[in-house]
Amino acid sequence: MTTERARPNYVAVWVWLVVLMIAGVLASYLPFAKSAVIFLVFVVAATKALLVALYYMHLRFESGLIYAMVIVPVVLVIALTFLLFPDLVFHH
Amino acid sequence: METTAATRAGTDILPGKVGVWWFLASEVMLFGGLIGSFIVSRLGSSGWSGEAAHLSVPVAAINTLVLLTSSMTMVMAFGAVEKGDPRGLRTYLFLTVLLGLTFLGIKAYEYSSEVAAGFTPVTGLFWSFYYTMTGLHALHVLAGIITNLALFVMARRGLRNQHRVELAGLYWHFVDIVWIFLFPLLYLT
Repeated sequence: MTTERARPNYVAVWVWLVVLMIAGVLASYLPFAKSAVIFLVFVVAATKALLVALYYMHLRFESGLIYAMVIVPVVLVIALTFLLFPDLVFHH
Repeated sequence: METTAATRAGTDILPGKVGVWWFLASEVMLFGGLIGSFIVSRLGSSGWSGEAAHLSVPVAAINTLVLLTSSMTMVMAFGAVEKGDPRGLRTYLFLTVLLGLTFLGIKAYEYSSEVAAGFTPVTGLFWSFYYTMTGLHALHVLAGIITNLALFVMARRGLRNQHRVELAGLYWHFVDIVWIFLFPLLYLT
């Protein structure tokens, strides 16, 4: 049953990952405002992570149960980090 | 080919796969806690960019490339076992192990040059975070190498169970994703 599943082109995904990695490194040298550069660098990193998860970990072809198991900790980690911002970050 | 008792009735998800994803969810919290603390500490204090400037971006970029490539060879090992290609499985597993060892070798070179330049875990908070986060990640890489090496030995003895390769792959790709975030966090900002 699993043998019939369509599989993504793994090499094409790798090419994208390498292109994005180079783009991320180059973006860090852009003469923009520091916050804009950081935002750009992390958008690139998140895209790379998404590509690995969707195509190499086959998340794109998984059921909702697996998605739920991944989304909960990711949302928690992001939320918990932001909740710590008020004192440490905004007061400095 | 479907092995017996590989899936539960009413769902096509392997119990082993649920187990690995469950484990990865806890790993997200483990690394997320560290990364979150790093972000908050960094945004709350100044001068960290100057510390980060002592790290070598080219060396880390090469290491990122090594790990991204190892993810590709790992998923190709799965592709090979899925297609019933034992030679491809052995080759790709071997390449994945080799690339994992290369990553650790480059990381060891980085550590030694940083320590030689006087940057140790007690130099400051940035360096404590740097050695803790990359050290924990390197331990994960080591665990992945051992797992993949065990699979390689099994493959030489005629492993046909594609699920083991898939599950080991899930872990290996997760370790790659952690590095995808550690690289910009520590080196590029």
